[in-house]
This record gives sequence, structure tokens and C-alpha cells, in this order.
Amino acid sequence: MIRQSWWKILAVLLLVYTFVAGLLVPLKPGIAEVSPRAFKAGSEVEMTVTGYNSMYSKAKNDLNAWLKLSGENAKDERVLKASSIQVINDRTLKLAFKLPEYLPSESKDDVCSLILDSPVDGAIVLPEGIALTQDSVNFQEGLDLWSVDKIIHLNVNSGLTFPYRSVLYETIRNQYYHVPLWFAMLFLFLFSVGFSVRYLRTFDADADHRTLALNRAGFAFGILGLITGAIWAKYTWGAYWSWDVKQNMTAVALLIYAAYFILRGAFQDEEKKARLSAVYNIFAFAALIPLIFVIPRLTDSLHPGNGGNPAFGKDDLDNTMRMVFYPAGIGWTLLGFWIAAIAYRIEKLQSKLLDA
Amino acid sequence: MTWNRLLLVGLLTLLIQQMAFAQQAASGDFLRSIGHIYVVVAVILIIFIGIVLFLIYLDRKLTKLENQIKQNE
Amino acid sequence: MNFFSQIGILLRKELVLELRMGYAISGILLYVLSTVFIVYSAFFQGVTNPMLWITLFWIILLFASVNAIVKSFVQENGNRQLYYYTLLNPTAVIVSKMVYNITLLFLLSLLTWGALAFMVGNQINEFSGFLLALFLGSVGFSILFTFVAAISSKADNNSTLLAILSFPLVIPILMTLIKLSVSATGVLEDTSAIQDIGILIAIDLMLAGLALVLYPFLWKD
Repeated sequence: MIRQSWWKILAVLLLVYTFVAGLLVPLKPGIAEVSPRAFKAGSEVEMTVTGYNSMYSKAKNDLNAWLKLSGENAKDERVLKASSIQVINDRTLKLAFKLPEYLPSESKDDVCSLILDSPVDGAIVLPEGIALTQDSVNFQEGLDLWSVDKIIHLNVNSGLTFPYRSVLYETIRNQYYHVPLWFAMLFLFLFSVGFSVRYLRTFDADADHRTLALNRAGFAFGILGLITGAIWAKYTWGAYWSWDVKQNMTAVALLIYAAYFILRGAFQDEEKKARLSAVYNIFAFAALIPLIFVIPRLTDSLHPGNGGNPAFGKDDLDNTMRMVFYPAGIGWTLLGFWIAAIAYRIEKLQSKLLDA
Repeated sequence: MTWNRLLLVGLLTLLIQQMAFAQQAASGDFLRSIGHIYVVVAVILIIFIGIVLFLIYLDRKLTKLENQIKQNE
Repeated sequence: MNFFSQIGILLRKELVLELRMGYAISGILLYVLSTVFIVYSAFFQGVTNPMLWITLFWIILLFASVNAIVKSFVQENGNRQLYYYTLLNPTAVIVSKMVYNITLLFLLSLLTWGALAFMVGNQINEFSGFLLALFLGSVGFSILFTFVAAISSKADNNSTLLAILSFPLVIPILMTLIKLSVSATGVLEDTSAIQDIGILIAIDLMLAGLALVLYPFLWKD
């Protein structure tokens, strides 16, 4: 009933896995908010910590918190342990610190990180999140005051989780739904170029039908990638269109393929249409290569890992995410080929009907 | 028949949009609630609608072919 | 008749045709001058922002190039194409057209620069760098536009089709050219100029290679 079905079954299985694992695995616990965020040295201070996905009441008495200053020679740890930790509920904590008179710092203000350690959630760091000020500078005194406490042991969260990012939150899951559309598009276009080359070698109309079907599916995936990307961008970067180099490049790629469809529409004769559009398809894909692989590497981008390397940063794709991301990429690409295959069969039927 | 189907999908899309807007109006910033999870939902929904639209496009083409075959007979 | 003598003859033919139909080349010259005059009238205080100057320059040049190159296939009617087909190597035809267009566009870009400098003021301080950008730009534009013009000349409404087909393709070249030209204004210290030149040369070579391989398929009708 379904032709050559094994890879279609594989596509469905991979996508089901992508949806189940991609949506069900929780985010790693994180610190959503700390208030207030600025303190003065030499006073007893209190701050409210709001957690994300945290289980504070479960870990009640085993919680530990430190403020950590990073100096130029950070060989020696400069930490200060919380004097009291009060658990309000699973998501809220009240921390108190006795801030010493002096900071181990050469200037009047400095920033420190907050480290929260729990046997349930694992250790969580809020990097450079808290501002400290002092009235007068005394480096040596500050160093002595901040060297009393030590971080002896940090727990590790061993559960299956996705990384917590304060801008992304749950949208980090879009990595399995938005990014693979782009992969699928590239593969579809790549194969369509292959069939264009085959057409120019054999002048077999079948290769032209395949090229057209692959380009249609690739174009559809490109549009979807652009729209989903715009929505994701709205809620992480603040605007639907941020003039980001990759957004612009995708838009240009889509313009090129829209031109391909217009070119096909300009000819009546089937053979001429197939030949000229195959030539344009190869030429256009070649012009796309610097657009996709060269310029994004040289331009600053909001996308992760840019300015030298457009791949994902180490922090943005950990091993748990890889376990979902790679199957997702394969699954979406196979789905794209399935759609293209159906479009191709319709195209073939149509040409048979025209010949008859 | 295909036009009916198109109309149906169009109405459905409108309905979903209306629902989203209604909820947004009701609770301040709906899409940002619960760790922005509804952004993921919106993305998946758009992909689904996109694939359905492509299916409709293929369906219309097939209907045309079927009619042609019928005429030839 | 070998390959290079074919190119020589074709180049001479292009020149003779161009001079005989003087309205084509003078039309382009007038096009550039009147566009520069429009820019002058629109920015009557003068363009002092180098970025704006460069953008205006490349946009004027882009449209002038399209107008100059669309003619290179229009003025050849079908019968003459058939005549070439029986007589010549297709690669010689496309190479001669590209070489001719590169020269034409380079002269055109010099003219645009001169006109713009005369009317709205010059913003370029590093002449050699900008000349290199102009040359690489004319090479890229002419390879791309000549090839796409060859495709679109097979359809009826070909000047619109040429714009639709070629503008998205020209964007990477244009972006790199604008980046390179900004460093030629001497306003910003740009360390990546060498890299940009490398990219432009790579794009030009790749497009030229593909155009030579693919043109024989456009040729026969």
C-alpha cells in the first residue's frame, strides 16, 4: 500500500521519538530570579531566590549556598557561605549572608556569582549575577575575610535533563523542531541539484520531475523554518526579524528558489523548461554556497556559535540534547523526502497523462 | 470539493488564532507563561499547519488528475 | 579556427556592433548620469556618510549593469544565433561576452565613481583598494548577469526575468563588495579586507567555472 516503506516507517518512528523525548524530558533546575541583586559590603543581607524546576523543600536541610568572587588570579577560591537558608516552598528560597567589611578586589564595586547546591537538583550557578559595592578598598583584608569558607563538595544532577538557559527557558526544545527544518531543506536542495545534473547528462524527463518535487518540498520546509524561526526570535531576541545574518540568508535562499519556480512558469515547451531550469538550479545552488557556508561564518550573528563557527556551541547542545537532536534531524529530513516523493509521483502521473 | 476543504482549514486556522489571542488577552502574556513553553507549541502548530497546507496542495493536484483520467475514459 | 582566435573575433564583433548601434552604449551612459543627478538632487546637502555613499554607488552600478548586460543577448536575433551555432565553440561565445562585459562594467563603474565624486563628493580615500573592489565587482557582476541573461533570453519577457533571477544571486557578491568598499573609505580600520578579497575571488572563479560548464546546455535550441 505504501511504496518502499522502510524509510517512511523510520521517519515516523524517529519523529515520534523526537516529539516524546523532546517534549517530556524536563529542563535542568535553574535560578530564574534573585532579588535584590545589589548589596553593600559590611552588612547582613537577605535575598530571595526564585528557582525554575527546583525541589527546594525536598532537600530542606542539605541545601548550601555560596557567593563566589572571581579575581584575576583565581587560584584561591574567594567564597562566602550563606549564614542561613530558609525554604519557603519548592520554588522560593530566602538566603542570608554576612557580608564582610572589605572585598578582595581593587575597586569599589565587583560582581559575584551565586552557587546553590542541593542533593536533589544538583549544583546551580548564577554567573556574574550579583553586584557588590564597598566604601573603601583594602585588598589584603578582603582576601583574608573571603578565604574562610571553602566549597568542599558539589552535587551533580544525574537525571535526564535539557540545559537551562535564562533567555531560552523551555524554547530550547525548538532545537528539535525549528533547526532540523533547515537541515531537511538543505538536503532536499542538494539532491535536487544532483537530479539536475542527471537531467543534463541524460535528458530524461524523470530527473526533471524529481528535481521539481524536491525543490517544492525544500521550499515549503524553508518557509516553515523562516516562520518558526521568526516566532522563536520574537520571544528570545525580542523581534520577529532581527536583521540576523542567518535570517537574511534564508530569505535570500527562498527568493532564489521562488525565482526558479517563476523561471519554470516562463516556458511552455516542456523540454526547454526542464533544460533551462536545471541549468539555473545548479547555478543557483552554487551561488547559495557562499551564502550558507561562508558569509555566516564571518559575520556576527545572534544564532549560537557564530563569528568563526556556525555550528552549535558546546554549551547549547549537550549530550542529552544530542540524543534527541540527531534523530530529529534525520526524522525531519526523511519526512521531507517522503513529501517530495509523493509530489514526484503526482508529477510523473501528470506527464504520463499529457503524453497519452 | 477541494474548495470546501480549503475553507474548512482556513476556518480552523482562524479559530486557533482566535483562541490564542483570546487566551493572550485573558492572561497578559500567554506565550511567555510556564517558561515560554507555548512558543514551542506555536512552532509545532505552524509546522503542522504548513504540512497540512502542502497536503492540500497535493490533494488538489491529484483531484485534477483524477478528473482528467475520468474525461479520457 | 582555434579557441582564442574565435574569442578575438567575437570580441571585435561585439565592439563593432556596440559602436554601430551607438544608442545602446550612450543609453547606458545617460542612465548612469541621470541616476547620479537624481541622487544629487535628492541629497542636495551632499552625501557625507561614507556608508550611504557606498550603498548608493553600488545600487546605481547594480542597475546600470543589469541594463547594460541585458542587451548583450537581446541584440542577437535567432538567425544569428543559429549561424554561430554552426560555426563556433559555445565556450568561446560565452567567454567573449563575459570578457567584453567585464571591460564594459569596469569602465562603467569608473564613470559612476567619477560622476558621483563630481556631483556629490568623493568619499574614497584608498584608491588602489577601491579600484580592486571595482574590478572584482565588475568581474562578478558580468559573469553572473551574462549567464543569467543567457537563460532569460530564452524566455519572452526577459528583462524582468533577468532581474528576478539574478538579484537574489548577486546579494552575496554585493554584501562582500560593500564591506570591502567601506574599508576603502579609510574611515574604519578593517582587518578583514584580505579575507573579503579572497571570498570575492573564490565566488568569481566558482561562478565562472560553472558558467563555462553549463553554457553549452543553454546554447542549443
